[in-house]
Amino acid sequence: MITGDISLMRRVTNVAMLGLTGLSTLVVVSILFFILGYLLWMGGSSLSIQFFTNLPKPTGETGGGMANAIVGSGKTLLLASLIGVPIGFLGGVYLAEYSGRTFAFLVRYVTDLLNGVPSIVIGIVAYALIVKPMSHFSTLAGGVALGIMMIPIALRTTEEFLRSIPNSLREGAMALGATRSRTIFTVVVPAAMSGLTSGMMLNLARVAGETAPLLFTALGNMFWSQGWMQPTATLPVMIYTYAISAYDDWHQQAWAAGFVLLALVLTINITARLIIGRGASSARR
Amino acid sequence: MATPDRQMISDSQSQPAQSSAEPPAPAFALPKIHAKDVNFFYGAYQALHSISMDVFANKVTAFIGPSGCGKSTFLRTFNRMNEAIRNTRVQGELLLNGESLFSMDVTTVRRRVGMVFQKSNPFPKTIFDNVAYGLRVNGVKGSVIKDEVEKSLRRAALWNEVKDTLHKPASALSGGQQQRLCIARALAVEPEVLLLDEPCSALDPIATLKIEELLFQIKDITTIVIVTHNMQQAARVADFTGFFFMGKLIEFDDTRVVFQNPSKKETEDYVTGRFG
Repeated sequence: MITGDISLMRRVTNVAMLGLTGLSTLVVVSILFFILGYLLWMGGSSLSIQFFTNLPKPTGETGGGMANAIVGSGKTLLLASLIGVPIGFLGGVYLAEYSGRTFAFLVRYVTDLLNGVPSIVIGIVAYALIVKPMSHFSTLAGGVALGIMMIPIALRTTEEFLRSIPNSLREGAMALGATRSRTIFTVVVPAAMSGLTSGMMLNLARVAGETAPLLFTALGNMFWSQGWMQPTATLPVMIYTYAISAYDDWHQQAWAAGFVLLALVLTINITARLIIGRGASSARR
Repeated sequence: MATPDRQMISDSQSQPAQSSAEPPAPAFALPKIHAKDVNFFYGAYQALHSISMDVFANKVTAFIGPSGCGKSTFLRTFNRMNEAIRNTRVQGELLLNGESLFSMDVTTVRRRVGMVFQKSNPFPKTIFDNVAYGLRVNGVKGSVIKDEVEKSLRRAALWNEVKDTLHKPASALSGGQQQRLCIARALAVEPEVLLLDEPCSALDPIATLKIEELLFQIKDITTIVIVTHNMQQAARVADFTGFFFMGKLIEFDDTRVVFQNPSKKETEDYVTGRFG
């Protein structure tokens, strides 16, 4: 009798928990797929070849595009990588290979804090550091803002991947007379290369959609940007500007821009996953 | 920090200066490695207690003893590998050909005293680049590298198995091959002493046999010190054997004496399998 009751209780609990967890998963996944599907539908139907080749046109005129924003996004992301990746990488090497425990803990803590700083605050920092002294908005300022945002993840990724390399490899290299730095850059870093590359790419994909830090750094531009020191259009800011406008045709353009941005982020993500997968399989062999 | 005790180093440096006034000793009498009163500490824990011994040139010296007895720690003082571990300290005198290990640059020590580890640790590079690594680190350039890689692989009895796959990843080799690759890699820089830290503990009997045969062949060109858990292995390969227990070198003698007629009770108990 007693055992029967317990097993009934267990069965009920089991079914209830399974139901709850399953339902939560379903909610999450269906929201995600709804957003994705809606974006694909709305964006895909508004997309045309002119979107990639033409400059924006005033509302009412057909055939406007966002070629300048695509190039602008590319330029700011390139700048961001040039700033965020080297600083984060070298800092991560220091943390993983050289620093003492207390200092590493401190830096890690500060890095996590920096990672948690709202992106708009990072934008204000870039505004104060670059826009204010130069007294105009620029591609440079946008790149610096995104670059600062990349540093924490670049640093932590590097540190984690280097720490995952077994010590026996370091000892093997040092036992042959290699110096510490030679060991790190010719054995440890190459061993972690696929992980590092994909980590950096995911990091880039993460900042590619950032809007807030670009609002008052890169600002926006309806024409081709006149250079690194001049304001530029970027996809996220274009989406923002077009989406809050009052015009239907601009809304369509915003959907198309969303679609392109999503495709860009997805491409980076998938490439990164492929690199991770290839690295893992070659390590197993 | 892992800095050796400087006071003891200055002691050991004064040693060769004194002896230079005397007539030079015959070459065979000079031990390859001379250890005197070596103490070693992990933080406050003393892992080695006043160990003194000599390693003779072109001989195989084996260290045996139960786990945690300090044999690997002692081995790693010979190429100053313990310095990579934080919060360790070494005291005493360690001479390589009469010259203090601590007065040399650490990278020089490690080039002259090579090491093969318990678990084979090929770099994630090609077979060729693995063997060439030590050469490149030590400034060898150009076509010499190719010849040296072949020479080292032949010495490690691996050439015939890998000569067609030199540019494939080293990770594709079997466990035994990987360990012989690590030996080839160590031999490439022509070390005066080769330290082996339980090199066969992860290998099957056939691969183990191959490594042991290899040791016989390479002792003409280098001096071998091997740490092993396997007493039969020590009996098979070693000319001299040291028995370690609780951080002390209990007995060090000709291998035959250690196994057949040990002078200490602990040694006898261990080699007859009564404990450990």
